[in-house]
Amino acid sequence: MNRRKFLSNTLPAAVTLPAFLNGFSFTAYGNSPYHSLSRLLGPDATNDHILVLVQLAGGNDGLNMVIPLDMYANYYNARQNVAIQQSRVLRLDGTDRTGLHPAMTDMQNMYNEGKINIVQSVGYPNQNFSHFRSTDIWMSGDNNNNRFDREKRGWLGRYLETEYPGYPDAYPNTEMPDPLAIQISNMPTVVVQGSVFSMGLSITDPENIYSFTNPFSDYPLNASPANKELKFLRVVSEKTKIYSDIIRAAYRRANNMATYPDNSLAHQLQIVARLIKGGLKTRVYTVTIGGFDTHKKQVNASDTATGNHAQLLKMIATSVNAFQNDMELMGTDDRVLGMTFSEFGRRIKSNASMGTDHGAAAPLILFGKHVKKGILGISPDIPADINVVNNIPFQYDFRSVYASVLERWFCVKQPLLNQLLMQNYQSLPLIKGGPCGFADDPDDINNQSDKLLLKMWPVPYSLNATIQFSTTGGNTMIQQINSLGQVVKVLTNQQYTAGTYNIDIYDDGLPSGVYFLRLQNQSLQKVINIVKIK
Amino acid sequence: MDRREFFQKTRRNKVEKTRRISSGLNLYNGAWTANEVSHLLKRTMFGAKNSDIEYFLNLTPDSAVEELLNNGPVVDTPLRDYGLIEDEFGVMHDDLGVVQGQTWVNDLNTLSDDIVKSSINGLRVSSLFKWWCGLIINQNRSIKEKMILFWHHHFSVQQEEAGGNATILWRHHQLLRNSALGNVSQLVKDVTIDPAMLFHLNGYLNSKLAPDENYAREMQELFTVGRGPDSLYIENDVIAAARVLTGWRVDGVTLTSNLDAGAHDTGTKQFSAFYGNTTISNNGAQEVDDLVNMIFTTTEASRFICRKLYKWFVYYVIDEDTEANVIAPLAEILRANNFEIRPVLATLLKSEHFFDPLNQSCYIKSPFDIIAGTLREFNVSFPPYTDWQNGYPLFYNLFDKASAMQQTLFNPPDVSGWPAYYQEPMYYELWVNSNSLPRRANFTDSLIADGVLDVRAFANYSSNPADPNQLVSDVVSLLLRYPLSQNSRNYTKNRFLLNNTGDDTLWTNAWTSNNTTYINSSLNELFKFILNLPEYHLC
Repeated sequence: MNRRKFLSNTLPAAVTLPAFLNGFSFTAYGNSPYHSLSRLLGPDATNDHILVLVQLAGGNDGLNMVIPLDMYANYYNARQNVAIQQSRVLRLDGTDRTGLHPAMTDMQNMYNEGKINIVQSVGYPNQNFSHFRSTDIWMSGDNNNNRFDREKRGWLGRYLETEYPGYPDAYPNTEMPDPLAIQISNMPTVVVQGSVFSMGLSITDPENIYSFTNPFSDYPLNASPANKELKFLRVVSEKTKIYSDIIRAAYRRANNMATYPDNSLAHQLQIVARLIKGGLKTRVYTVTIGGFDTHKKQVNASDTATGNHAQLLKMIATSVNAFQNDMELMGTDDRVLGMTFSEFGRRIKSNASMGTDHGAAAPLILFGKHVKKGILGISPDIPADINVVNNIPFQYDFRSVYASVLERWFCVKQPLLNQLLMQNYQSLPLIKGGPCGFADDPDDINNQSDKLLLKMWPVPYSLNATIQFSTTGGNTMIQQINSLGQVVKVLTNQQYTAGTYNIDIYDDGLPSGVYFLRLQNQSLQKVINIVKIK
Repeated sequence: MDRREFFQKTRRNKVEKTRRISSGLNLYNGAWTANEVSHLLKRTMFGAKNSDIEYFLNLTPDSAVEELLNNGPVVDTPLRDYGLIEDEFGVMHDDLGVVQGQTWVNDLNTLSDDIVKSSINGLRVSSLFKWWCGLIINQNRSIKEKMILFWHHHFSVQQEEAGGNATILWRHHQLLRNSALGNVSQLVKDVTIDPAMLFHLNGYLNSKLAPDENYAREMQELFTVGRGPDSLYIENDVIAAARVLTGWRVDGVTLTSNLDAGAHDTGTKQFSAFYGNTTISNNGAQEVDDLVNMIFTTTEASRFICRKLYKWFVYYVIDEDTEANVIAPLAEILRANNFEIRPVLATLLKSEHFFDPLNQSCYIKSPFDIIAGTLREFNVSFPPYTDWQNGYPLFYNLFDKASAMQQTLFNPPDVSGWPAYYQEPMYYELWVNSNSLPRRANFTDSLIADGVLDVRAFANYSSNPADPNQLVSDVVSLLLRYPLSQNSRNYTKNRFLLNNTGDDTLWTNAWTSNNTTYINSSLNELFKFILNLPEYHLC
C-alpha cells in the first residue's frame, strides 16, 4: 500500500473525501482540511514532474544566440552587419565548436555547471514562415498544411487530457486538486488546448486573481433549460473560485528565495516559482516574452554584441538563471525542467536594416537539474556563397524534443507516446538521472553525431551520385531538403542492421541548387550540405 | 478530434424530455409586460435599456417586432483615424490616399510610400474594427447589429486567411451589412464570389486544370445545407460544385473579382438525386447563381438556415417537436418568400414559441452581450460612431475586451465560426469557463470601480428607490432575466443596502437625506454583486 492510500484510510471520519465536486458543499470543500493534508502526502513519484515552457515569440535568431565557431568564417560572411565578434563569443565547457552570445554569461555558467542542454537546428519539414501558423505548428505539433484537417489541440493539451481524463467536470478532486496547467498570460494558448476546453488556467496576477461569491443555490424558475444553464454557470463559477483560491493560497504560502532581475520574464518566472514552492501539483507552466521579430535594428551598429536582441537574450539568461537558483534554494529543482521554444529561427543572411528575416530551424535550450549537459547536434552548415533565400535545415524535428520530454520526463509510454505526437518521433537523450527509468546515455555532448557517416559524391552532382551512410541499426531515414527547408525527397526510410550502405542516384529530377542531406538513425542525426548542378 | 469529426457528430439532438415545448408559430397573444419585452430586447439587441423597455411596452408584440426588424439608415463608412506613420527607420510618412478624418474605403492604398503601405493597411483594418464596435454600442432600436454579427459568424472569415487587406475585409462586411435583413440566397451568391471568401477558402486558386474543393465543400457543409441527417449531398456534389466555381479570380489592382473564362470549367456538372439530378453547364458567371439556386431548391437548405437562426436567437436544443412545429414551417416561409429572411424573423419573434417560458432565461450571453449590453443598460454615453477622434479609441477597447472573452471580430477560431453556436454538446456554455468568467467579472467590476456606470441613475429607474425592497426588486428585474427568490432578494438587500442590520429604515433614511457617501458605496457593492452573479450571464 502506498503512502497516499495509507493516509486516506486513517483520516478521521468527520473529514469528507469528495472524489468529485458535484454533490458536495462547495465552500466546505474549499476549506476542507483534506485539501491541505493531501499536500502533506507529497507528490506522487511518477506524476510530479513539472515542465516550464518559455515561449520566445517572434522568431528567435538562434544563429546569434548559439554561434557556430567551427563555421565562423561563413557565419561572419553571411551576416557581417549583425555578426558577433569571434573573440566575444562565450565559450562552453568541453567544446571549441559552439559558443553563446556575449549577453548570456549567466547561461554560460549554467551550462558549465551542467544544467543546460542546447539542441541544434530544431525545426520541421516544410517550414512555414507565418508567425501565427508556425506558432500553431509548434504548439499543436501538427504541421499539416490542410487548414481544415489540422490538429486544434496542443501537444500538452493532449498529454493532460490523457493524464487527467474527465477534465473539467471531474475536477478538482483528491487526486488532482490543483489546476492542470497554468499559463502566465491574458488568454489561454494552443499549447494546452484540449478537445473542447483549455486544460490550463491563464492568470497574470495570482494576488488579484478573481474570487467569486455565490451565495444562492435555489432555482426559482420552473424552466428546465434555464435551470440547466444556471446550474452550469454556478458550477463554473464555483470551480473558478476554488482554483483561484488555491492559486492565491499557494502563491502566498511561498516567497522567492533567489534574487531575480527586474524584467518581464523574471516576473513571470517568479510567479511560477512561488506556485511550485507553494505546493501546487500543477504539471505545466507557460511563460512568454515577445520582441524577437528582429527584422531591423537587431544589433547596435557600434557594437553588435549589444542592441535589441542582446537585451532579450540577457533577459532569458538572467531570468532563467535566477529561476534555477530559486528552484535549488527552494528544494524543488529535482522536479522541474524548463524549455525554450520559438516559432522559427531567422535567415542566415542578414538584411540591410541590420536585422534578419524569418528563417527556419534554430537551437533551443533545455534547463534544469536533470538536463543532460551538452550540445545535441552540430553547427548548422553555412554555405560560403550565401544567398538571401538560404535557411538552416532542421537536424532535429521539434517533436523529437517533445517526445524526449514526454517519454523521459513525464514518463509516457508507448503506444501513447506515438498517439500524443501523432507519429513516431525518436526521443533524444536530453534528460539524465533516470527519472523515468531510462538508463543515462553515454556521455557524448554531441550525441555521437560525428560517429555517423554521411557522404555523397560527386559534389556537386548532376545526374549520377552515390550516398554512403552508416547506421547503428534500426530505423534509418535520409531526407533531401532544399535551401528553403522543404523536404523534397526521402531517399530511404526503413529498418537496417548495423553497417555502412550506399544509395545510388540517377536523374532525380530535382532542380539545381543547394540541398541538405539529413540522416536520422534512431536518435542520432546528421546533416551535410550538397549541391546539384545541371 | 478535428472539426470535421465534431461536425459529423451533429445529429438532431436527442429529445430533452424535460424540455417538451409544444408551442409553435402561432402569434403570441399572452402577457406583454416588462418581462416579455426584456426577453425580446435582450435577444435581438445588446442589452435592454430601461428607456427601450418602456418604449416597446407601449407597442403591441407585433408592432414591436416590426420595429425591431427595421433596416435602419444607411451608415457612414469607416474613417482614417491614424495620423502619420513611422517607418522602420524612424521617418514619418503620410497616407497619401486619404486625409485624416475621411473615409478610406474608396482608396486602394496605392499612393503612399511603399515602406508604409503595410502599416497603413493594418491601421485601416483597426479602424474597421473600431467603427463596427461604434455601431454596435450606438445601435438603434433594431435587430440589425445582431443580424450582422450572425452573418459574420455564419459566413465566417478569418482576417489573415482572407488576405488581411482592409478594403477586402470592408467589402465583405458591407455585403453582410447590406443584406443582413435581406435575401439569403442572394447573400450566398454574393459572398461566394466576394474576394474575402475567395481568399479565405481558396476559391481564387480553383481552376479547371486543378479544381480546389475547399469552398465547394464548406459552402454546402457550413453555409447552405449542413451535414445533418437530412442533408444528403455526396462527394460527387462537392466535386461538381468545385467545377462550377472554377475560374474566379481577384484582380490585384482593383481588388474586385471576376471570372477568368480560360480557367473556368465549362463542361457539364452533374449533381446527385438530393439536388434533383440537376446539371449545370456552360453558363459562365451565371453558374454560381445556378448552383445556389439549385441548393436552395432543397428543403434542407431552408431548414438549415432556420436552425442556425434559431440557435442564434432562441436556444441550441432543437427537439423533434420544435423541428416539426417551428423549424419546418419557418423553412416553408423562407421558401415561400423567395428566401427573404425578414418574414422568417418576423414569424419567429412574434410567435408563442419565442415567448414560451421554457425559451426564456436560457441563453448564455455572448461577450458582446456582456460588454455592449452592460454599457447600454447603464446608459453609458459614447461618442457617435462617426467620431473618430473621441470614439474610435473607446470602440477599440470594446473590440479588445470582447476578444479577451473569446469573441474576436474577424477572427473566429475556426472556419465554422464561434463554437458557442455549433459545437455539441455544450454550445453556449463554451463562452464561460475558468478563463473567460474572471474576464467577464473583471470587466463589470472595473466599470464600477472606475465610475463608468452611473449607479445612482440606475437606482432611479426604481419606482421607489427609497424603499430598499422595491429598489432591489426593480434593479434585479431590469438586470437579471433569471429572477432571484424573495429570500435571495432579502439577502441582497440586507447585505448591500442595510449593512446587515435587517433595518429597512437605514436605507430609507440614507436615501431621503441624500447621504451620498452611503448611497454610492452601497450601490456600487450592490451592482458589483449583481453583475457577478451567474444569473447575470443569462438572458
